[in-house]
Amino acid sequence: MHFMIGGAYQGKLEYAKKKFAVTDDEVFSCTEAGGIKFGSRCINKIEEFTLWCVRNDADALEIFKRHRSEWMDSVLICQDIFCGVVPLGADMRAWRDMTGRLCAYLSSEAESVTRMFCGLEQRLK
Amino acid sequence: MSKVMFIHMNVLISGGCKNGKTGFAQEVARKLSGNGKRYYVATMIPYDGEDRTRITRHREDRAGMGFVTLEIGQNIVSCLDAAAPKSTFLVDSITALLLNELFPDTHSGEADPEAAERCRVGLLKLAAGAEHAVFVTDYIYSDAMRYDSFTENYRAALASLDCALAEACDTVIELCAGTVIFHKGELTL
Repeated sequence: MHFMIGGAYQGKLEYAKKKFAVTDDEVFSCTEAGGIKFGSRCINKIEEFTLWCVRNDADALEIFKRHRSEWMDSVLICQDIFCGVVPLGADMRAWRDMTGRLCAYLSSEAESVTRMFCGLEQRLK
Repeated sequence: MSKVMFIHMNVLISGGCKNGKTGFAQEVARKLSGNGKRYYVATMIPYDGEDRTRITRHREDRAGMGFVTLEIGQNIVSCLDAAAPKSTFLVDSITALLLNELFPDTHSGEADPEAAERCRVGLLKLAAGAEHAVFVTDYIYSDAMRYDSFTENYRAALASLDCALAEACDTVIELCAGTVIFHKGELTL
């Protein structure tokens, strides 16, 4: 599994598509409406999935652990949402916390971890 | 100071707020320019007396470092006309420039949909036409917030300018707590 992280609009998906030869059809993009397709070659916007989890009392980390075998060969992409001030809203705080714990887990499981910055790659692992 | 002559070099400096980006950028621009003319291009348009007082102080500080200040809030490429040939420009910041271009008429509150493209073209022309250029931008993409669509569009537009400049520049630097992280190229000043 290759894990990609970075702020909003930093070119994560474009880079993943080029680097790992992923086509548009192979990308599953999560939305805050929920739902995730673990067998996908590439899962984008994981932070949207964690937001849905927070609002629906689901544990994103547990769900990912349970489906580990299905995403072990995927490219996973999550937005870095960890550098701002502590959010005022309780659900936004829980979202940041849950996304952070999931990212730490995915980083530890990943074959490579890449951070995108202004469209440029930074290899973290 | 090094006696090395630099041949046409552009640098993008990003990072969070209050990381010392401006001070670092001034140092980079000063060294790149060598004996050439150096301009500090201030893109923030002052709105009140407090802004004015602060700006006057910064202007005096920079004059001591040999910078001539140009206040250019829009149409960034026009700073080439205002300056001597073979000059070095420090553009501070892309963030303010985009905001000014988005709202050319501060009274109407209407965002101009062509603003980002206009900024992109102007910045790339400046990068190509200047002897050296140093661009300062703000990294505002990593917080846990849901913004309104206006702010979200602004973030997306600023990111597109950052990415375009990162591609065009020889060196891309992130300042983190005053520490320099090189994302592209190097800086042997």
